Amino acid sequence: MKTKAKKISGWILTVFMLIMSLFFLFPVVWMLANSFKGDALITADMNSAAAFIPPALNGSFFDNYITIIKDTSFLRYMVNTLFYAAILIVLGIVVNGLAGYALAKIKFPFADKWLLIIMMLMIIPSETIITINFLTIAKLGLLNNIIGYVLPMIVNPFNIFLFRQVFVSLPDDVYEAAQLDYCSPIKYFFTMVLPMSKTVVATVSVFTFLGVWNDYLWPSLVFTSSDLLTAQIGLNSITSNDNTTMGQTLAVITMITIPVIIIYSLFSKQIVEGVVSTGSKEG
Amino acid sequence: MKKRRSNAVMGMSFFTPALILMIVFLFVPMLLTLIYSFTDYFALSPDNTHFVGFENFKKIFRDELFTKAFWNTVGFVAIIVPLQGLGALGLALLVNKVAHFKKYFKVAFFIPVVMSLAVVSTLWMQIYSPEGIINTILGQFGIDAQPFIHSAKQALPSIAVMSVWQGVGYQMIIFLGGLQAINPALYEAAEMDHASAWQKFRDITLPELKPLCIFVFITITIGAFRMIVQPMVMTGGGPSNSTYTLVYDIYETGTVNWEIGLSSAMAVIFVVFVIILTIIQNVLTRDKEEKKK
Repeated sequence: MKTKAKKISGWILTVFMLIMSLFFLFPVVWMLANSFKGDALITADMNSAAAFIPPALNGSFFDNYITIIKDTSFLRYMVNTLFYAAILIVLGIVVNGLAGYALAKIKFPFADKWLLIIMMLMIIPSETIITINFLTIAKLGLLNNIIGYVLPMIVNPFNIFLFRQVFVSLPDDVYEAAQLDYCSPIKYFFTMVLPMSKTVVATVSVFTFLGVWNDYLWPSLVFTSSDLLTAQIGLNSITSNDNTTMGQTLAVITMITIPVIIIYSLFSKQIVEGVVSTGSKEG
Repeated sequence: MKKRRSNAVMGMSFFTPALILMIVFLFVPMLLTLIYSFTDYFALSPDNTHFVGFENFKKIFRDELFTKAFWNTVGFVAIIVPLQGLGALGLALLVNKVAHFKKYFKVAFFIPVVMSLAVVSTLWMQIYSPEGIINTILGQFGIDAQPFIHSAKQALPSIAVMSVWQGVGYQMIIFLGGLQAINPALYEAAEMDHASAWQKFRDITLPELKPLCIFVFITITIGAFRMIVQPMVMTGGGPSNSTYTLVYDIYETGTVNWEIGLSSAMAVIFVVFVIILTIIQNVLTRDKEEKKK
């Protein structure tokens, strides 16, 4: 008897939460549904439930998307951003991974002190040093240059810390065996250490991708030439154009969101682990 | 002996690429920010720079725009922290308890987190628009259209609510991790004593989550203090500077007006704030850890 009551109250909670999640997601549903409509239809549908339903699949269904792809450079901005993300994932793993490995496994002068300093660096908000980094890059003549954009973003104290925490628990004897085989330390790092730590490599890669894809302030400072813009900055220049309709705006922000949703659905486990690890690092 | 030395060289060589980049793009900028905050460094005439002592700091506290930005930021923090912190805890408790579609709920509340600030801001500009979907729905209930981000009164709370919507799933996931780490034996023991749901929550869940709660609330506070992209995209800090924030002021003073000295002084004040918050968090959580032992 009691279990039956429990079952019913369980379903009541589920239904309540389903309704709540629909309310919560209404902006996303509205964005998606109306990105396939012309502005007249968006306004006409606004007064009814049709506001949250995509239009019938007809010849003009993808018009907004086609206009954006044909008449703007948005696709190019998306490709640019993917390219930057790829560079920063590779460089980030090598630079931060090597540093994390040195801190975890190799005794070198002041290693403990460096770890402490890196943990303190994690506190400093990047917005406070962005102006100085901009001046540095400008002085080096690297504005509107991929190198100038990438250089300050490679090193990430949090990722060094994350790598270090994982590498500390790797067994030492494998390393000693590798030394007997005259395996060079750098080769050992790439052929043994990184493959043994796939989870942290995936977590760092996913977070680097999300960081690069969603970043706004830094690319808006470094890039002014339209060939190099990232998707987020391109979005700004497209939506601030008076000729862009509401439907097209919604199509652009849907396009920009698709890659992160794909990444999230593929790597949700790594993302959740990464998020939880920020909470448990205090322990 | 020889091995130790070669280890030191190898360790250093592994660490050096990261170290150089940290020096150039983290340490030096931090140091320069501190130094510049005592000068009148103007980026368009850098040769004409003088040491001015605490002049910048005095100027900032007399500056109306900075004062406004400071109180706006406090306003954002005051709305976002309780809403997002309690919202995340509430969602985590519900998702942890729900018997069906648990995976769907975890994804649903997390989706806005992976969307970018610029996208979310652009989307909500449409949603908040005078003829937008919220005003249309309000109209069906006979409520007058609200100006939202177009009025000096409503812009700040409107942006704050949007930010909570975007961020709440992140802390929900952290709380869920904490809830799942609680030893189930504690609840079993409480059930033997016929403890009510509320008693279990008050005597087990809440104390076990306390360190995580402190962490979450402080991170949300720091996050809210860092507010810039949303007002930048949606309102440009307006109407009549009602959504202009501290970081926005630091950014514009530095990269639009090129008053690096002044901007650095603001940044120093801001960093001091963040450090104080972090110290408070460490003291509060350390206290807890020691009691446990």
